[in-house]
Amino acid sequence: MDLLIDTVQSIADGVLFGATYALLGIGFTLVFGVMHKLNLSYAAASIGAAYASLLILAGIKAPPPLVFLLPAICGGLIGGMVYLIAFRFIPLANPLATLMSTVGLLLLIDEIIVHTTAGVPLAYPALFSDVIIQAGPFNLRGDLMFVFLLGCLCMVLLLLLLYRTKLGLATRAVSQQPTAAELCGISIGRVNGLTFVITGVVGGIAGAMTGAAIGMLSPLLSLPLTVKGLIVTVIGGLGSIPGAIVAGLLVGGLENLFQFFRGVSERDLYVMLLLFVFLVFCPGGLFAPSAGRD
Amino acid sequence: MLKIFAAVAASLAVMAASAIGTPASAQDRTVKITGFGAKSGVVRVFGVNSEAALKAAAEEINKAGGVTLGDGAKAKLTIEFLDDRCNAEEGISVVRRIASTDAFVAVGPTCSNVAESLFGILQKKVGDASDTGLQFPIIADVAAKGGLAKISEWSFRNVPSEFEMYKSLFAWLKTQHPTLKTIYGGVEKDFAHSNATFGVMKAQAEANGLQVVGQSEWLLADTTFSTQIREMKRANPDIVAISAHPFTTCGALKEMERQGVKPKLLIGLTSSSSIETLQGCAKQAEGIIIPTSFAPVTPEAQKAAEQVAKFGGSADLHSAAAYEIVYILKDVIESQKIMAKPDTVAADRVKMREGLAALKETKGLLGKVGRTSDREAIKPFLYVHAKDGSWQVLYKPAS
Repeated sequence: MDLLIDTVQSIADGVLFGATYALLGIGFTLVFGVMHKLNLSYAAASIGAAYASLLILAGIKAPPPLVFLLPAICGGLIGGMVYLIAFRFIPLANPLATLMSTVGLLLLIDEIIVHTTAGVPLAYPALFSDVIIQAGPFNLRGDLMFVFLLGCLCMVLLLLLLYRTKLGLATRAVSQQPTAAELCGISIGRVNGLTFVITGVVGGIAGAMTGAAIGMLSPLLSLPLTVKGLIVTVIGGLGSIPGAIVAGLLVGGLENLFQFFRGVSERDLYVMLLLFVFLVFCPGGLFAPSAGRD
Repeated sequence: MLKIFAAVAASLAVMAASAIGTPASAQDRTVKITGFGAKSGVVRVFGVNSEAALKAAAEEINKAGGVTLGDGAKAKLTIEFLDDRCNAEEGISVVRRIASTDAFVAVGPTCSNVAESLFGILQKKVGDASDTGLQFPIIADVAAKGGLAKISEWSFRNVPSEFEMYKSLFAWLKTQHPTLKTIYGGVEKDFAHSNATFGVMKAQAEANGLQVVGQSEWLLADTTFSTQIREMKRANPDIVAISAHPFTTCGALKEMERQGVKPKLLIGLTSSSSIETLQGCAKQAEGIIIPTSFAPVTPEAQKAAEQVAKFGGSADLHSAAAYEIVYILKDVIESQKIMAKPDTVAADRVKMREGLAALKETKGLLGKVGRTSDREAIKPFLYVHAKDGSWQVLYKPAS
């Protein structure tokens, strides 16, 4: 009985923490959906946005909403900068060029964080950290449930933005028919830039929620979250926002399950194996978008 | 007559100039001490603190007149600090670079994995002509994994013996808390220092009659600890010993609070007795006991802490070791009559090694530091505990 309870609890804990992966996956997948490019600096920029908000608010007793709003603003600004530095002036026709420029940016952002904070972990304000929901023998963390709901809200807002606004229409047009979109007078550079700002806002929220869920920020987070974000994007289906949410929760749940049964040394091995299984047997991921670029 | 007067005046002027010049050039003699360690990546703070401590000690020595060289000249100490990124290959490359200069000693590194590889490229036994290893003395300030100086006769350390610290701590706990019977461990499995120290903690706990009822493992960058802490909760131990650095120590402590795990006693890793732990989780870390070889409890230690802060660092058990090393090097330079000239580099390195190897005792910030035959330090230590958001001395064992 204990084994069953522990198994279910492990999955539940993982699924809830997977909400932070889902938020990151949304950002990865949105950029890929629009530009068909991977932005490998995304997780580092998200953590960077959360750090920036902490540094801006250092010494100020800011109300909690401001603490969580500021990372979104910082994320948007950093997102715009990432576009300018790693995409705007890089030949987009060469797929490796932007991949390498974003890898460089990942390392750069990481080192900026390290040099600003000497690599010291900083406490991040927790949100609903004392809320534990008891469901029979199981405990569910209130803060992670909040992150999960926030992820769902982000998904709904992004889908509304994509399907109910002119910017969304332009974004989809650029994603599917860039040449035709340009002929219709849509500025591809502007749409791409705005996509980065929007994903940056989501990234800032993701960074803040990750910090709040862990209770701390550390430069140690950038690389593992980049890997998790990429795995989530591939498993969810490149370019699929609902896919990113589902895959984030799935990866979180399975990761904890692997850890429970096989220990911490083998945990990541199985997660990577899961990625290979998807790449071989289901390369489009769980929710592969049907439409593609011409 | 006028010509003779002019010649005499010119000669006097030259003599006067050289008389003024002689002390000036002695003042200009410098001895460069090169430190190295992690100044990038997540352990950057260690390098920042070591560099600040080296500079603070050098400035104090310089203010007091500098160091006396073998030829009687006075020299000022200058500090250079290089980044090895806590990476073994880079550490080796940095030391090869230092050894290609006039330097006769280097101070570092930060990380045990770097020290382990680095000491391996040094000549193992002095005078062994068949061993072409690097003949260059290195004295470590931070790398804390046990027994590393044994690797080469050119390697030295001024780091505390964690074996002695935890041996003493567990023996003390046995007398102070005889009712505590069980212990549970938490260890950062992928970090050499944490892993090695956990072995020490476990062995000492058992040696003092505690029953180890389990252990949980996690990785340096892990963010969730629910599974591990659930196992801990089930074991219901009297004591929890966490051998991990501040980021995951705090993560685990926060999860313990969430799951309502309240052991009667908490023990932490030496490296966690830092400001980072208090910044990250002061509330959850309240009461955690950690042995450390530095606390500003003596006038020397207080002064050192202030000096290190002036150079943008923080004095802790690691950077305090760097501070002490500069004084050790000064003493050895003077006792071994090191010349610090480009043409005496090889001889100076040998003298420095011999001087360091001959040391039986050095002056430390908390008191006298013993030296062992395998080039390690026996440092005085005390136990601190987190109380009201700061580290406070809990007990100072008799040395």
